[in-house]
Amino acid sequence: MTRTRTIALASGLAVAAVGALAGCGQPDVTKSRLERAIGPAFANLYVQRADLLGEHGVTVTRIGAAPACDRGGPKVPDVGPGPDWICMIHFIDDHGQPQDGKFEVQVKADATYVAGGPSKLIGQATLTDSHGHDVPNPVFEFDGAFDPDN
Amino acid sequence: MLASCVIFSVRVMSDVLAVNAVHLTKAYGPLTAVNDITVQVAQGEVYGVLGPNGAGKTTFLRMLFGLVRPDSGTLEVFGRSWQRHGVTSLSGVAGFIESPRFYPALSGRKNLRLLAGLDGGDATARIDEVLDVVGLTDRQQDKVRGYSFGMRQRLGVASALLRDPRLLVLDEPANGLDPAGIRDMRALVRRLADTGLTVLLSSHDMGEVEQICDNVTIMKSGSVVHHGTIAALRELAPEQAHRITTTDDGRAAELSRARGLAVTSVDDGLAVRGPQKEIDALVADVVDAGIALRGLTRGETPLEALFFMLTESAAAGPSAGVDTPAGARR
Amino acid sequence: MTTTAVPAVAPAARRRPGTATVLRWEVAKLAAQVRSRALLIGAIVVPVAVVLIFNTQLPPKDTIYGRHIHTSGYAVPLFVLAFAHQWVLPLLAALVAGDIFANEDQHGTWKTVLTRSVSRTQVFWAKTLTAVGFNLLVLALLAASTITTSLLVVGTQPLPGLSGQLIPAGHALPLVIASWATAVAPMLGFTALAILLSVTTRNPTIGVAAPVVAGMIMQLVSSLGGLDQGRRLLLTTPFEAWHGLLTAHPFHAPIVTGAVVSAGWLAVCLAPAHRYLRRRDITGG
Repeated sequence: MTRTRTIALASGLAVAAVGALAGCGQPDVTKSRLERAIGPAFANLYVQRADLLGEHGVTVTRIGAAPACDRGGPKVPDVGPGPDWICMIHFIDDHGQPQDGKFEVQVKADATYVAGGPSKLIGQATLTDSHGHDVPNPVFEFDGAFDPDN
Repeated sequence: MLASCVIFSVRVMSDVLAVNAVHLTKAYGPLTAVNDITVQVAQGEVYGVLGPNGAGKTTFLRMLFGLVRPDSGTLEVFGRSWQRHGVTSLSGVAGFIESPRFYPALSGRKNLRLLAGLDGGDATARIDEVLDVVGLTDRQQDKVRGYSFGMRQRLGVASALLRDPRLLVLDEPANGLDPAGIRDMRALVRRLADTGLTVLLSSHDMGEVEQICDNVTIMKSGSVVHHGTIAALRELAPEQAHRITTTDDGRAAELSRARGLAVTSVDDGLAVRGPQKEIDALVADVVDAGIALRGLTRGETPLEALFFMLTESAAAGPSAGVDTPAGARR
Repeated sequence: MTTTAVPAVAPAARRRPGTATVLRWEVAKLAAQVRSRALLIGAIVVPVAVVLIFNTQLPPKDTIYGRHIHTSGYAVPLFVLAFAHQWVLPLLAALVAGDIFANEDQHGTWKTVLTRSVSRTQVFWAKTLTAVGFNLLVLALLAASTITTSLLVVGTQPLPGLSGQLIPAGHALPLVIASWATAVAPMLGFTALAILLSVTTRNPTIGVAAPVVAGMIMQLVSSLGGLDQGRRLLLTTPFEAWHGLLTAHPFHAPIVTGAVVSAGWLAVCLAPAHRYLRRRDITGG
């Protein structure tokens, strides 16, 4: 076989192998995996925000974050990477009030995501901390990752 | 028309042939580079392989070095073959194919150290000695990219001598050298052959082959056209041609024919062919007849003439050659 | 007829040099090249420049950990890793490995080295190990330089994790080093791919460029949805496996899968490369 044909054949086989496995088994990005990841992430970051503002008594348990994620509209299946994921997170804020935050989430194929929250509920991109310095607001926009296998 | 001569030096009696190539064939797609050739060289022999470009000589040598795999046939060097022994079959064999190549970023000495490392044994200890033999001691620290063509040829010979070989294979070693370089190379090869080394040498010059070789194989278009000793070739060859220029070519031609010489007219005189005695007598005749002799030169040597005859004729198979008992086999 | 001291039968072959000797000389040849010295120096110097430059820039939020480059010195090497794996690491893997075989063809020196006392197999393994060793060295220098410069320039503040948690300095350093270490497996895979291309095409430009292009195509394809399990066979996916080290409940399956897949690529590339070298006719030089 000539060299070009060998290379073409080998590449073709490789592509076929990858393609054959495509769509096999479970997709990596699913609604439940995203929810199980973004809930605790948001809670942890909200606690960090509270610490920066010098507030006491804000813990992950007290926040009780409960996310409900949906991709696109009702017609779009809730699987796969994309910029159109919306997570509604129900939580107790630092004044004890229940809130529903709408987070726009861009999920990537490598099982990482970028989430941006509602500034009315959680603040702007920067905060003034308890010492008077301007610091980034940890919960305004954040990166996260989840296990694509579980 | 370029000729190539592979010369093996016959010096030492031994049962094992230095090179035993039987029915070797190699084709690259539609092109048959080597077509069913059989070449057998005894130890210590000086063997010449002559042929024009594309005759297959270099392909044959590449097969000997294991660089190219033959399609069919067997090739043994000192009784070892590539199929059975791999690179061990090169033990005792050294040389280079076409012009030798080295690493341009390394110095001449470093290249030799590298090759000595790849040789194993005590090759490294011989580096100074081989550099001295080829006359590169004062340029050894310079990077090879600055070497002239002749220096690289010499470094190639040095790298071959590092292996302390019993069979030296050189593919057209005088190629590309100036006359001084050619003279030095011939002297070196002569010296090495005299020490009992079996030398396989490729050369363009049939005249040179005459001087150094004992046995010759002539190849054309991948096939063997002739095997034999130089002596036997001389017997086959036409007589030495001479070219004679006179003030009266017509009269000179008559005198030549009277002597029984073959005469043809050429551009600036006559070409005469015949025994040396008759040529000498012809010169005396011409002078006696009052004709001024303007020039008398030798044409191509008999062997050169024979070579051109053999390689210009229609493609000849192996049966066209003469296998003399003393030359091709032992 | 003179008789010299040549025995009547073919003498025994001298002991052949081992692969270690061939390796030593391959390293010497590599060390003599400008390209390899430039790469090693670059692996130390370029990260310093990169860290210093990014220290003055707005945080690039499109790459993971980009937003934290001023927050913590431990975040910067992770950002550099996330950025570099797209094409920089495959290029670094291919620069030497894609050339180490093809340059013998360029210089016509196959006929020089293969007519000594070493086998083609020994030469193949010596070159492969040299390329692998060199690439690992480059990766190590890159990682060390990036991490050290980042910690010195930005500081040792706690590292934000990928579950919103804060990782204290003591735990952050081993995690950052481990993250860089997960790049070893796919680097070896790309080294093997570059070797395969270098051996079969005999062209150093293809040997260097093609793995980079292949990496970019794999990257592009894997960013599309729908590949799922197929994605795990790509050689660029193991470069992302370190994410699992930085979540609150670390997961290691992608690292293990990535190592296995990289080993698979290594075998699938090196075996035909070896066979090709052993069987080819050396007609050039």
